[in-house]
Amino acid sequence: MEQKGHKHPLSKIITEVNSIFSELGFVFAEGPEMEETHYNFDLLNVPKDHPSRDMQDTFYIEGKPDHVLRTHTSPVQVRYMESHKPPIRIIVPGKVFRNEATDATHEAQFYQLEGLMIDKDVSLAHLKGTLEFFFSKFFGGNTEVRLRPSFFPFVEPGVEVDMRLTGDDAPEKLKGRWIEIMGAGMVHPNVIRNAGIDPDVYQGFAFGMGMDRLAMMKYGVDDVRLFYTGDLRVVNQF
Amino acid sequence: MLVSYNWLNKYFDNALPEPEKVADALTFYAWEIDGIEKVGDDTVLDVKVLPDKAMWGLSHRGIAKDLSVILKLPLKSDPLSTKPELLPLSDLVKIKVESKSCRCFAGALIKGVKVGPSPEWLKEALEALGQRSINNIVDASNYVMFDIGQPSHAFDASIVGEGVLVRQAEKGETLKALDETEYTFTEEDTVIATLSDKRALSIAGIKGGVESGISEKTTDIFLEAANWDPTSTRKSANRLKLRSDASSRYENSIVPEMVPYGLKAVVDLVIEIAGGELVGYNEINNTVSKKTSVTVSLEKINSVLGLSLTADDVISVIDRFGWEYKVNNEEFVITSPFERTDLNIAEDVIEEIGRIYGYEHVVAVVPEPIKQTEINQRFYYSEVIRDVLIERGFSEIFTSSFRSEDKVKLANAFASDKGYLRGDLKTNIKEALVKNAPNADLLGVRQIRIFEIGTVFNESGEELLLALGVQGPSGYKAKSDDPIITDAIQILSDALDVKLSAPAVEGIVEIKLGELLTKLPEVTSYKKSESEPALTYKPFSSYPAIVRDIAMWVDEGVNVTEIEELLNEKAGPLRVRTTLFDEFKKDGKVSYAFRLVFQSSEKTLEGSQVDSIMDDVYKAIKERGFEVR
Repeated sequence: MEQKGHKHPLSKIITEVNSIFSELGFVFAEGPEMEETHYNFDLLNVPKDHPSRDMQDTFYIEGKPDHVLRTHTSPVQVRYMESHKPPIRIIVPGKVFRNEATDATHEAQFYQLEGLMIDKDVSLAHLKGTLEFFFSKFFGGNTEVRLRPSFFPFVEPGVEVDMRLTGDDAPEKLKGRWIEIMGAGMVHPNVIRNAGIDPDVYQGFAFGMGMDRLAMMKYGVDDVRLFYTGDLRVVNQF
Repeated sequence: MLVSYNWLNKYFDNALPEPEKVADALTFYAWEIDGIEKVGDDTVLDVKVLPDKAMWGLSHRGIAKDLSVILKLPLKSDPLSTKPELLPLSDLVKIKVESKSCRCFAGALIKGVKVGPSPEWLKEALEALGQRSINNIVDASNYVMFDIGQPSHAFDASIVGEGVLVRQAEKGETLKALDETEYTFTEEDTVIATLSDKRALSIAGIKGGVESGISEKTTDIFLEAANWDPTSTRKSANRLKLRSDASSRYENSIVPEMVPYGLKAVVDLVIEIAGGELVGYNEINNTVSKKTSVTVSLEKINSVLGLSLTADDVISVIDRFGWEYKVNNEEFVITSPFERTDLNIAEDVIEEIGRIYGYEHVVAVVPEPIKQTEINQRFYYSEVIRDVLIERGFSEIFTSSFRSEDKVKLANAFASDKGYLRGDLKTNIKEALVKNAPNADLLGVRQIRIFEIGTVFNESGEELLLALGVQGPSGYKAKSDDPIITDAIQILSDALDVKLSAPAVEGIVEIKLGELLTKLPEVTSYKKSESEPALTYKPFSSYPAIVRDIAMWVDEGVNVTEIEELLNEKAGPLRVRTTLFDEFKKDGKVSYAFRLVFQSSEKTLEGSQVDSIMDDVYKAIKERGFEVR
């Protein structure tokens, strides 16, 4: 009998992430990889010809000036809010693209995990709580989360999120030190309004982190490019 | 932005805490620090000023101001606290503005300067930031930009003549800039030209020209401080591929009100270090400055931040910023200072309150669980497919979305072999089969069996595909490959309860999964996923593997695990895999055939080296009483 095959490590991560966030009622949402510029930038409060567009190196499509390869999973925030009413809780695990030089920690394609929670009275405390809940389950044991001021056009206030694993089950290499893990913040009222929801009534948090990075930390993989080589010497270890 | 610790210290009566403490204060209450480096007796911090606060943050004054708020250390004096006294307007300086991108333009004429090297303090200040000291005039202009953020430019007044004209460039017009490069303009670029013959002298908001630059012979200078439209400056800088410290400040919307502060500071510094006399001043202002006020309630502040601040807590932060405000019924109306156009909505103010009060005070609250309102069909069925295929020995791969040739082309590819988006998955599956085939023994599989679920792109957009493929280790397609695929497709059809008619071509099948999903019934819950054991990835060796087979007769009662353990022990650390690949019974005996794979992580193994290991293995097998076949 032929032995069983193996699930790609990133698929394993997506399965696990979905299962953890399901516990809190977060819905797995999705959107196109080739995205309208409008959704990728404008509706997310990233105006044309503004320095904030430089924050992400974008692939443009020849002959389709109004389309890009999505640089983040954030456009799904707007797409989902357009078609749903609060309370909203979603995660968006999905492939994104950045036009930048590749090395052990950068790939032109990678997976991002977006999170969005919109309701009355959602605060940074819920962001912190949600992330601590997720990381503790994902890495095992206790995880602390720390917020630092930052800027992303689609949130205000914007924060950078660090985490520290302290549980016994945490991978030894990661244990005890602060690790910068993602960008997050309170969804900018313009974004909520652009999606057809009243920002005077509803507010919420959003976050976005690299899933490849989560996989690299969890499994001790040292080169992100290994995930996309199709090499079973990698995949069959999982 | 590079920031000098000593320079920041000039803003304070009481010395700042040591540089590392300053870096920490900025990190947790303002901006990330990208680097910290000792330069002479100074320490230089690379402060990552982000676009939202860059209109005031790209300056030592801006960073000192924020530090004073964070550290509760008052500034000695704030150069922006009192509007500079206007210099007397004079006909000696004529300014004509035709271009809309010019929001404000001020010029000052200083006669009788002595161009020479800068004083040591100035050289040191600029060099700490990695700036080359050029001469006292240029350095004075640069110093003021890094100090308070306002760029300025010094022209040799003898070249300017009676005055300047700010106009759109002509298509194809060229100018040799101070970086010795000749730039060619379009009508969308703006230049500063001579008033007399409209000859371009500098690229507005970006860079000065060689012809009107300051030289040792210069005695009279025309100092310009201006404000340029952020979008036009950005477009020009992009088009000309020329980014300067000045252009980045205009792009980030430094306010026009800064112009007189900047010009006055440069004039004063030039006269101090190069002598000369201010003989004329003029300005054209095309903007109306308006003060914005923002209303925010204490309730909203706490609701967004998840804190329980009192009105006094908020007032304490606002006071440290020195903002004008009114408070009524726990509602604050804040008038932002002129240099900060980043405070427009309540959330902007809430961020300032939150970061200065400190996000460390936010206590985590896990949201109450609610029932999941939707199940993702695409994910659900993809998981079903994964489970079925993995059960049949297929491993899942992720391949590149880019390739060298296909239907959808990227407008800005990063490599010539990655200029297109994949239009199918089968090509990638085929490549991966070929690539993996030589490793079949190493992987311990008879054939390479792989699949991918992924998005492809074509003229009409994108679609989700599933592709699977099988290939034997020889690299050639074996007759036995297709039945494996047919079998897998059959089992998939059963699992999804649809008829999948997908013929295998060269051991590969591609299925339009997106289309298929629309025909599948809705599901209402995910399957429970099993918890996974902890796994640690081991880097694989890039050296070739060597394979040796061994077959033997043993008595029926002998445990196969025992044989394997013996083989592994004798084969030693270079053995990376043992696979039992054949087994049959005859006359009360069992024949077992094992394949041993050897590989080093340090070098290419010699056949003879493996042979001598195998000699030991044979010997041990015989000693155990097994009959080697």
